[in-house]
Amino acid sequence: MPPNSAGGAIVVPPATGLAVRAKVGLVRAWPFLPAGLMLALLFLVPMAVMVVFSLWRTTPDFDIVPDWTLDNYAYFFNTPTYVRTLLKTLIMAAAVTAAGIAAAFPFAYFLVRYVSPRWQRAVLLAVIVPFWTSYLLRAYAWQAILGPKGALNQLLTGIGVTDEPSRLFIYDNPGVWLVLVYVYFPFAALAIYASLEKFDFTQLNAAQDLGARPDQALLHILLPQVRPGLITACIFVFIPILGEFLTPALVGGTEGLLIANLIVNFFRGLQYTTMAAFCFIIAALVTVLLVIFRRYLQVEDVVART
Amino acid sequence: MDLLRKPYSRRQFLQVTAGVSAGAIAAACQAGASPTPGPTAKPEGTFNWMTWSDHYIAEQLDEIKKTAKISTNITELADNADGFAKLKEVKGQLDVISGDALWVPKYFEEGLIDAWDINSLEVAKQLYSIAREFTIWTKPEGYLGYPFGWSPILITYNPKYVSPAPDSWQALLDPKYKGKIVTENQPVEVVAYMAKAAGIKDPYNMSEAELAQAKELLLRLKPNVLKLAQQNTDTVAALVSEEAWIATSNLGTEDRVKDGGGPEVISFIPKEGTIGWMDAEMIVKEGKNKALIRPFLELAEQAEWIAQNFIDYGRPLFNEKAYQILVDKGEKERADRYFYNKPETVQTMTLKGPGLSTQGAINVFNEVFGA
Amino acid sequence: MDPIQTMPVSPYARLVRAVLRTWALVVLAFLYLPIAFLVLFSFEESRTPGLPITGLTLHWYEKMISNGILLGAVWNSILVAVAATTLATIIGTMAAFPLVRGGIRFPNVARILFTLPIMLPGALIGVALLLFFRRVLDAELSFWTVIAGHLVFTTPYIVLIVGARLQGFDRMLEWAAADLGASPARVLRHIVLPLIAPAIMAGALISVTLSIDEFVITFFTVGPQLTLPIYIYTQIKFGVTPEVNAVATVLLVGTMAVLGLSWLMAGQARRISGLIGSRGGAGR
Repeated sequence: MPPNSAGGAIVVPPATGLAVRAKVGLVRAWPFLPAGLMLALLFLVPMAVMVVFSLWRTTPDFDIVPDWTLDNYAYFFNTPTYVRTLLKTLIMAAAVTAAGIAAAFPFAYFLVRYVSPRWQRAVLLAVIVPFWTSYLLRAYAWQAILGPKGALNQLLTGIGVTDEPSRLFIYDNPGVWLVLVYVYFPFAALAIYASLEKFDFTQLNAAQDLGARPDQALLHILLPQVRPGLITACIFVFIPILGEFLTPALVGGTEGLLIANLIVNFFRGLQYTTMAAFCFIIAALVTVLLVIFRRYLQVEDVVART
Repeated sequence: MDLLRKPYSRRQFLQVTAGVSAGAIAAACQAGASPTPGPTAKPEGTFNWMTWSDHYIAEQLDEIKKTAKISTNITELADNADGFAKLKEVKGQLDVISGDALWVPKYFEEGLIDAWDINSLEVAKQLYSIAREFTIWTKPEGYLGYPFGWSPILITYNPKYVSPAPDSWQALLDPKYKGKIVTENQPVEVVAYMAKAAGIKDPYNMSEAELAQAKELLLRLKPNVLKLAQQNTDTVAALVSEEAWIATSNLGTEDRVKDGGGPEVISFIPKEGTIGWMDAEMIVKEGKNKALIRPFLELAEQAEWIAQNFIDYGRPLFNEKAYQILVDKGEKERADRYFYNKPETVQTMTLKGPGLSTQGAINVFNEVFGA
Repeated sequence: MDPIQTMPVSPYARLVRAVLRTWALVVLAFLYLPIAFLVLFSFEESRTPGLPITGLTLHWYEKMISNGILLGAVWNSILVAVAATTLATIIGTMAAFPLVRGGIRFPNVARILFTLPIMLPGALIGVALLLFFRRVLDAELSFWTVIAGHLVFTTPYIVLIVGARLQGFDRMLEWAAADLGASPARVLRHIVLPLIAPAIMAGALISVTLSIDEFVITFFTVGPQLTLPIYIYTQIKFGVTPEVNAVATVLLVGTMAVLGLSWLMAGQARRISGLIGSRGGAGR
C-alpha cells in the first residue's frame, strides 16, 4: 500500500530515518506497558482462574470442588443444542455485521466527504449520545414499536398495507437482527469514520481524471486505505455479539435466543464451572477464526518496514 | 390511581419516628448484652445494605437518617444467586442482605449470616406471629432474618380470550394459546412450574426421571411462549397490549395491567399448588456495623412504612399492624385480594430456594430453548 | 475554499450526494425513534412505561428529583464512566503505538488478547474479577475496583480503533519535524495527536457508551454503592417505572446541552482563530 503523503509522491525514508525514529521514540515498547499490564493483571490472571474452574466441578450445593474433569467441555459437544445455537449465533453475528457495515459505511462516507469537520463532530455526537441512555429502556421502546400490537403494526394496518398485525418484526430472529443492527451501528460508524477521516478524497478525483470509473476508484483507491477501519468495525460488531444476551432476551421471544443466553442461564444458577467451559469453547473457536484471518489483522506499517 | 400517589404526610411520620426512636433508645438501654459500645450510647453511623428496590422507600431512609442519624448505603441485587455469590466473597463489606425463602438457611449454613432473636425488637410485635416462627428460618441459635414480604407466583389471564376459566398449570400447555404466553426469563423457575404441572412434589430437588417429565412439558410450553420476560415490566406490557393472553408473575399484575390502560385480567393460584417467595433481612456475620442494624430495623419496619410499601408495590408483607392501617386507608379490598391477611398461605407454597437439581433444571431449559 | 466544492460537479455526483444525505437522515431517524418513545414514556401516568399512553404527567420527574438514592446512583455511574474512559483512552492510545509500529514482539498475539475481553460475556469477567480482587488481592471492593473492571472491557476498543488509524499512517511528517529539530514531545503534540484525534475521540465515545450501561461486571466489582444500571437491571420482581425514563430523559437532555454548548464554544474559538490565521473552510 503506497503511503498517502502530503506531497502525493512515494517518498523514500530519509537516510537518517532509523536514528530519527529512535529519537521520536514512538516505536519503543514502553507505551504498551500500562495497557499490557492492565490486561495481564485484570484479565489474563482472573481468566486463568476461570480456566481452572472450567476443569473443576460444581457440587449440587454450589461449591466448586477441584475434581479435575473435562465433563463441562464434553457436555457442550455432546449436546447438539449448544453446537446448533453457537452456529446460529455465528450466522446472526455475520448477518448483523454485514448489515451494520452496509449501513455505517455510506453514513461515514457522507459525513467525511460532504460535511465540514465541525459538523462532523456534531453528527457523531448525535449518533452516539442516544446510546448513553439505558439499553433496557430503549429495548422496551422497541417492544412498543415492533410488537404485534405495537406502533409499527398499528401504522401498517391503519394505512392498509397489512390486514393482520405482523409478528415478523419482533420475538423471533428478524427482530433480534434488526435491534442488534441498531445497537451496534454506532460502533461500526465510529470505527469506519475514524479510519475514513484521514482519506484524501482528491485521490478519487485524480483516479477519475485518469479514466477510472467511480466504482473502480472506490474499490482500488479508497477501500485498501480504509481496510483497517472496516476490519475494526467488523470486530466491534461481530465479536461482542458472541457474548450478547440482553437483546435476544428482550426481543427474541423463544426462537431468537443466542448462545450467550444459554451461558447466562448457567451463571444464574451458580454453575460457574460450566459457564466458564462454554465461554472458553467460544473464545477458542473465535481465536482460531481470528488467526485464520490474521493476514487481515496484520500490522502493516509500510513505511516502518522499509 | 390517586391513592397510589398520595404523598405520605410528613408530620404524621415525624410523630411516629419520634415515638419510635425513643423506643429504640429504651430498647438499646435494656439490651445489656448488646455489642454497642456503651449501654446508653445511641449508635450512629452508616451501614451497607444489599437489597431489592422494593424493600425501602427513599423518604423512609431519609427520615431515619435525619431522626436517628443512621444512614444507609444501598446497593442492589437481581437474583438470590447473585447476592449469594457476592456475599460469599465480600463478607463484612456488607452489613445486611435481603434474601428469599430457602436461600436464607443456605446463607446460614455457609456461615455468612447471624441467627438472632428478632423478638428483641419492639417492632417485631407488629408481625404476624406465624412470621416469627417459620421452621425453615428457626435455628437453635435464633431466627435467621427479619421477615419482610412475600408473594405466590400466579397465573394471570385475559378472560376475553381465555375460556373456560383455567384453574391449573395445564393452561400454559394448551396448544390453542400458541404464542400467547409470557413467562419469566428464569430457567429454574420455569422448569419448576412445569414440575408443578406434572404434579412433582419437590420442583427444586428433582430426580432424573422427574426432570425428564418436566422437560416433556417444557417442550409443549415452548411454542406457546411469546416472550421470556426480563422484568415484570415486560409481562405487564404484553398483557396491556393484549399481545399475551396468559402470564405467570407475582401478585399485583392485574392491578398494574389495569393501571397501564389494559384490559381486566384475572389471577389465580393453580390447583396443583404454586411456587412462592418470602424474603427477609439477614444480618451479615462479619458485618462491621452491627450496632446499627437493630435500631435501624426498629424504625424501618414500623407499620406506617410497611403500609406505604404495600401501597407502592402491591404484594403482601408480614407486618400485621400495617394491615390495620391499610384497612383504615380504604385499601382493604386490595390487601385482601393480595392475601395480606392470610399469611398462612405461605405454608401452602413451594418456597423458592437453592435446590439440588438446579444444574439439571438449567440443562433441561437450555436444551429446550436453545436452537 | 474546499477544493472538492470548487470542482465541477457532475449530475451523477450530485445524485450520489443526495442519496447519501437521505440515507444519513434515515439512519438518524432510526437511531432516534426508540428515544422518542423512551421520552414519551417518561410522561406516562401509569407505573409501567409502555403503550397505550393513559395520561400525561410530570409526576415521575417530581419523584425522581426527590429520590436521593436514584440520583446518587446516576452520579456514581457518571463518575465511573468518566474515570474509566479517561484512563482507558490514555493507556489504550499509548498501547496502540508499539502495537502498530512494531515496538513489541508479538503484536498479533497482543491484538487477539485485546479482543478477548470484548468477546467473553460480562458474567464470566465479573465473577473472575470478584474472585481475583477478593481472594488474590484481598482488596475491598470500591470505586477503584469498578473502574478497574470497566477498564478491562473499554481499553480494547481504544487500542483497536486507534491502532487502525495508525496503520498506514504517514510517518514522513514526524520525521520531517524531527529533522527540523522538534523534540519527540513536540512531534507528538503537534503532529501525531492531531492526526489521530478522530480515532481517540471515537474510542472514548464507545468507551462511555459501554461503561455507562454496564450491569454484570459492575455488580460484581462494586462496593456498597449503587449505579444506575444496577438500579435499573435489578428491578426484576416489580419492573422499572417511568421514573427511570425520566432520569434517562434528563440525562439525555443534559448531555446534549453540555456537548452542544462546548461544540458551539469550540466553533466560536475557531472562528476567532480563523480570523487571525488563514486556515478556513473544510480543509483538514
